[in-house]
Amino acid sequence: MRKENPTEQLSRRKLLKLGAGLVGAAAAGTVLPRALLRPSKVKAALSADAITPMGVYRHFAASDGWAYLPGENLPYHPDNLAPDGLTTYIFGFRDVTSLDPLPDGRDLIFQQKMKCQLTSPMFWLDEWRGTDFESVTDFTLKLTNLGLQVRPDLIDAHTLHFHGFRNAIPIFDGEPHSSVGVPISRDLTYFYRARDPGTYMYHCHFEETEHVHMGMVGGVFVRPRQNFSTGGFAVPPARLGDGGPDAPAMGYVYNDGDGSTAYDREFVLVMNEVWTLAHWCDSHVQLPEWSDYNPDIYLMNGRVYPDTIAPNGGYVDGGGELYLWEPDPATGDMVHTERPELRYQPLSSLITCNAGDRVLVRFINLGYVAQSMRLTGIKMRVVGRDATLLRGRDGKDQTYLTDSLHIGAGQSVDAIVDVPDDITEFTKLLLFSRNLAHLSNPGSPGLGGPMTEFHIHPAGTLGPQVAANDWGVVL
Amino acid sequence: MKSPRFVKLVLLLSLPLVLAAILLIVTGSGGVVTAGHVDLPPHGIVCSENPSATFTLNTRTGAISLPDGNRVYMWGFSEGGDPFQHPSPTLCVTEGDTVTIVVNNSLSHDISLIFPGQENVLANGVPSEPVFDAGTLELLSLAPVAEANGGSMTYSFVASEPGTYLYESGTDPGIQVNMGLFGGLIVRPSAHPDWAYNEVVTETATVTYTTQFDPDEEFLLIFSEIDPMLHMAVEQDLPYNMNNYTPRYWNINGRSFPDTIAPNGAEWLPDQPYGSLIHIYPFNDDPAAGEAYHPYPALIRYLSVGSDIYPHHPHGNHGRIIARDGNVLIDADDQDLSYERFTITLNPGQTTDELFVWTDVENWHPVDNPIPVTIPQLQNLTFGTFYSGSPYLGNVDILPVGHQALNACGEYYHISHNHALQQITAWGVVLSGHITFTRIDPPLPNDCP
Repeated sequence: MRKENPTEQLSRRKLLKLGAGLVGAAAAGTVLPRALLRPSKVKAALSADAITPMGVYRHFAASDGWAYLPGENLPYHPDNLAPDGLTTYIFGFRDVTSLDPLPDGRDLIFQQKMKCQLTSPMFWLDEWRGTDFESVTDFTLKLTNLGLQVRPDLIDAHTLHFHGFRNAIPIFDGEPHSSVGVPISRDLTYFYRARDPGTYMYHCHFEETEHVHMGMVGGVFVRPRQNFSTGGFAVPPARLGDGGPDAPAMGYVYNDGDGSTAYDREFVLVMNEVWTLAHWCDSHVQLPEWSDYNPDIYLMNGRVYPDTIAPNGGYVDGGGELYLWEPDPATGDMVHTERPELRYQPLSSLITCNAGDRVLVRFINLGYVAQSMRLTGIKMRVVGRDATLLRGRDGKDQTYLTDSLHIGAGQSVDAIVDVPDDITEFTKLLLFSRNLAHLSNPGSPGLGGPMTEFHIHPAGTLGPQVAANDWGVVL
Repeated sequence: MKSPRFVKLVLLLSLPLVLAAILLIVTGSGGVVTAGHVDLPPHGIVCSENPSATFTLNTRTGAISLPDGNRVYMWGFSEGGDPFQHPSPTLCVTEGDTVTIVVNNSLSHDISLIFPGQENVLANGVPSEPVFDAGTLELLSLAPVAEANGGSMTYSFVASEPGTYLYESGTDPGIQVNMGLFGGLIVRPSAHPDWAYNEVVTETATVTYTTQFDPDEEFLLIFSEIDPMLHMAVEQDLPYNMNNYTPRYWNINGRSFPDTIAPNGAEWLPDQPYGSLIHIYPFNDDPAAGEAYHPYPALIRYLSVGSDIYPHHPHGNHGRIIARDGNVLIDADDQDLSYERFTITLNPGQTTDELFVWTDVENWHPVDNPIPVTIPQLQNLTFGTFYSGSPYLGNVDILPVGHQALNACGEYYHISHNHALQQITAWGVVLSGHITFTRIDPPLPNDCP
């Protein structure tokens, strides 16, 4: 389905097209679809009566929707109110940035009510590296509340809590008691000047027990200034920075100063779970008793195995080119050409790499249950936790090798898998939750739940990623 | 599920209580306190201490109030003639003290105390060891007991290592700890009472890191959980099957949010004297800053007596974890094993010490340095009870007539909560349980009451 990419290297234009680079350079060119162009604006362009996006910008919409999960747990799953092919009532976010500049963009955005995504769209920021670069690092995110189509009785607000952001001020923290929330059909623009690299997460913090469980969870990442030659580090800049196509690394996870967190490929695994009774309650105007919490489907990037290894979703244009995770610009709706029932769950968990690659896996747990994640065959080096390099203030190395890592609710872990370069045959490893009771889909035979595959190809097989979780094209 | 979020709580707590809470939170006054707890500071750790490090802990029975309107029967220890309190008193001693704890038991069950992390604990002068039935070899207790209906036992030990510790029941502990027989034990370094530990991390010859904290910003938070069916069974002397154990309430310092942020000794919580509000000032290490100079972090001592792993997430900033179970995180070569986290794993029966600062990094100012986006007018937003109407620290702005704002002087609030979100509830009440708040005041001098 993916058009062969004639440029083997990661190009900034391609990154911008796919919404993953966020390097903020003003891009132009006839090959860019209109939906993905977004001018950078600087502080001076602000007017008092309009919320003007500046620097790097995303527009998210919050709403309800339906997802597909296999198995059966009657009467709760599949939900008898679900549209054909879908099973589970959810709340969530959508990235509608590409719809914003369309002539009918506002209408298209509001037509996305009841079309939210599970788990939520990811976004990346570049770390602040001085006032000279603020126009390409200061980040704004506009959140629009579309309301809940299935529950018109609820007038819930939504917020975006950037979980872990250091020295946050309440107005941009998204906790509605200490600041503000976004009512239905209104919007609020959050501002982030990211000064600390790492793996973070975000979620709605309004009625959090319900809204987070219903699926309003996603990953957000701050890329270190070490990726740039202007970052002030004695290591080569990375491809995601200004290192150019021949840079020795796609990126660094932290400002390590020694290249120890360099990686060639990046994958994000967001863990959460579904208590089918609670989701059924929400669609049927009921309330669950949360102290009875008893989830029965455990997810990885919003899907269960083997759907976890199905391709990434996204719009495919007339030329066959995939626009990763992007909606159809004509309708604004999400699409998945191979697995239409997964159109609202566009994030693949399949990990692909070449022998010799350093593979970064960013684990995020926004369920309510701790997980023990196991990789078979090759050990992982845990280099970061909770957006913090594992290193003492005196330089003491606190990183460690493991095949099973603990990740509690609301925590993140950065692990780098150093794939040996002497693997010459296609090799499959497995990455899964070691809580074996989670590895089933209700009522279905065989293994399911939070499991994915880790595919190692002989060196030189795959081209570079255009974004995290991208499989890379076969060269 | 519904909006506004507080509707259930307001109905259940009734308006006068809420208004009283508002007044006390905003003014920071401590209010009337229970007997034995006079002159409590409104926020921060409340220590029971005396020069001889000798404590007489007498059992009490009582009940605590929970945000759904329920009252739950509890057991507890109180010092001397003090009335029932929950949790039991926080005992503070100094490194090297010989600590003596006399337990007098008026309950109808044998009880005992264990002191995890203390070595060479004596019970009535002989080593405190597990007690087995001489005939059947059945394990009767983890420590020698104070017998039911009037028995006593004296435990003693030398507090040789500074740190944060628990004391808790060692007899039928699944029942008795849940019933409330637990408390905190603080051992302060003898040479540095405002350090958490003695050890120092050396980065360079001129850059070192101690565990010094601001003595006005020391907090102790004990996380617990309650199965009300267990408590009902104990109160009515009925059997209880531990296989049915199902917690319904999750408390910090014996209170469930919003009671957690009420001051120490709040008069409407007469038997739950310990608040959990983290009240701090912005970090400032510039000695020329005058009153705003605030170079030392807050120390937050987390203790858990629950049966589950609680992932605790303080908003606003990472915390630096400097010790676990009274052991400072420095290796045998004096290298740094401390770490920063945004979600702290609180394991059953463990203690965790965290240094916490919040820095006004961007110094947003309404005139000199405005935030670069426009905040919509209030009719286009929902706004919380802790919001000042202004995004700027130390500023207040207009809020609608009739809105009950708890913000006094433009101070910031950040929630600090368990991220296993089913545990921030109270048997049907959402937004309760394991939640407290961090209050960040504008730098001194300020206009805060």
